[in-house]
Amino acid sequence: MALTPEQKKSNLRLGLILASVAVALFVGFMVKSAFIGV
Amino acid sequence: MSAVIDQHGHHGDHAHDHDHDHHAPHGWRRWLFATNHKDIGTMYLLFSFAMLMVGGVLALLIRAELFQPGLQIVNPQLFNQLTTMHGLIMVFGAIMPAFVGFANWMIPLQIGAADMAFARMNNLSFWLLIPAGLMLVGSFFMPGGAPAAGWTLYAPLTLQMGPSMDAGIFAMHIMGASSIMGSINIIVTILNMRAPRMTLMKMPLFCWTWLITAYLLIAVMPVLAGAITMTLTDRHFGTHFFNPAGGGDPVMYQHIFWFFGHPEVYIMILPAFGIVSAIIPAFARKKLFGYTSMVYATSSIAILSFIVWAHHMFTTGMPVTGQLFFMYATMLIAVPTGVKVFNWIATMWRGSMTFETPMLFAVGFLFVFTMGGFTGLICAMAPVDIQIQDTYYVVAHFHYVLVAGSLYALFAGYYYWSPKWTGVMYNETRGKIHFWGSLIFFNVTFFPMHFLGLAGMPRRYADYPMQFADFNMLASVGAFGFGLMQVYFFFFVVLPTMRGQGAKAPQQPWDGAEGLEWEVPSPAPFHTFETPPLLNPSATKVLG
Repeated sequence: MALTPEQKKSNLRLGLILASVAVALFVGFMVKSAFIGV
Repeated sequence: MSAVIDQHGHHGDHAHDHDHDHHAPHGWRRWLFATNHKDIGTMYLLFSFAMLMVGGVLALLIRAELFQPGLQIVNPQLFNQLTTMHGLIMVFGAIMPAFVGFANWMIPLQIGAADMAFARMNNLSFWLLIPAGLMLVGSFFMPGGAPAAGWTLYAPLTLQMGPSMDAGIFAMHIMGASSIMGSINIIVTILNMRAPRMTLMKMPLFCWTWLITAYLLIAVMPVLAGAITMTLTDRHFGTHFFNPAGGGDPVMYQHIFWFFGHPEVYIMILPAFGIVSAIIPAFARKKLFGYTSMVYATSSIAILSFIVWAHHMFTTGMPVTGQLFFMYATMLIAVPTGVKVFNWIATMWRGSMTFETPMLFAVGFLFVFTMGGFTGLICAMAPVDIQIQDTYYVVAHFHYVLVAGSLYALFAGYYYWSPKWTGVMYNETRGKIHFWGSLIFFNVTFFPMHFLGLAGMPRRYADYPMQFADFNMLASVGAFGFGLMQVYFFFFVVLPTMRGQGAKAPQQPWDGAEGLEWEVPSPAPFHTFETPPLLNPSATKVLG
């Protein structure tokens, strides 16, 4: 059975939140290393 | 096979009603455009086994060279390439994708979901692995050979390598992206798509361990990606993050790498805990002892994994207070791990146990992984670690954890769930031959390495003095035996079941097993739980 639009929306929202955490960690570690060091 | 009971038709109607095998795509399109979690799980498992074989061949080349002192087969540069690529391929190509394969197959079945949350992204996650794997393996044929800086890709060695290092970094980026997408898929599937009544604290432990593992992956894979991106900019874009010649700090790379690297160890072992937690209760015919404490112990291990990274770096120089912190924090991990081992033993206590192959591998895991855990505690002690750092003691330790831990659990899981995947029972005698052969040869290979390490033999060297000859010869013989057992496993256990050769598997092949995966027929139909199932109060059976 296909997902309902509400389920799809809910899945997408959580997926994007998790992806943004990954991107923040990726960029954050490089920015921190560039400007602050260890 | 004493644990096999026939329950043809029992509870199978629900899934059978929704069995639309005739709608399943056929031919190469089925696999290239796969969005079905079972197909993608199968592809992950086959890919990881292929990579296990490639990594295994590299390991055997290493052991062939170390069979006796002197240089016989490879030169030192190629030897360094072999150790590096063996580590990278086994970690990122074999163990991690294998667990994702299990997750794809089992998580939707265990929580009563129709599929993974993002089916197309699931396809992309898998197919990204193919070019990445080819690039890793293909780097051997690039000018200068494959990367040879160790699987940790330490700077400044990585800054001095040839173009294959760029290929290696690109491959790691792709595999990392695949892992992150897979993790997002797993978290969203578990949190949003469980059947009604399947509350978090009723989920099978395999789902719990994967949920926690997926969070770990999202937290640390980007950190690795950042570290290797900075390596790339150091190599080509004039930055000096890690290059001491330009004012950079190679030790900073080690800090960043191990902030990823230590949780990575748990990424490779927590799902193994989940598999073992499914198998031991099934073959002890008892409920898992201390389910709640298992969940908290898994979470505790995951949290602690973030504050222990510098125990890999005691010899780089750090304040004594730093050494003490990382030493005690590392030892603290033994507490939740001990809780788990205690619970598995308590589950077996007075259980009505039988020892089919899945249980043999699970109990083998328990013994041998615990040994690896104990040697880990020895390595955790800073004064001891300073002596045994980069010796074969460490090589023995992490192979006890990753081979006897992760790989044995994967084998256990294969034997336990393959009747559901293939619809036929594997050959029990062959399974037992595989287990005993693997157990004996594993110990012949890696146990002597403890003595080599204590005697001071360093890792990553192509040659050694005569004093280390006997134990090295023994380890090499064991390694070839171990490799042979895995070839036997593929040709005599896996291939026959894939071809449908063997006794037909009943819906519920293990009479002590519980969970929704045993509520669908064997082999599992192409589509399962298309409508959310109505579950009993303990969320272990389908009522309608």
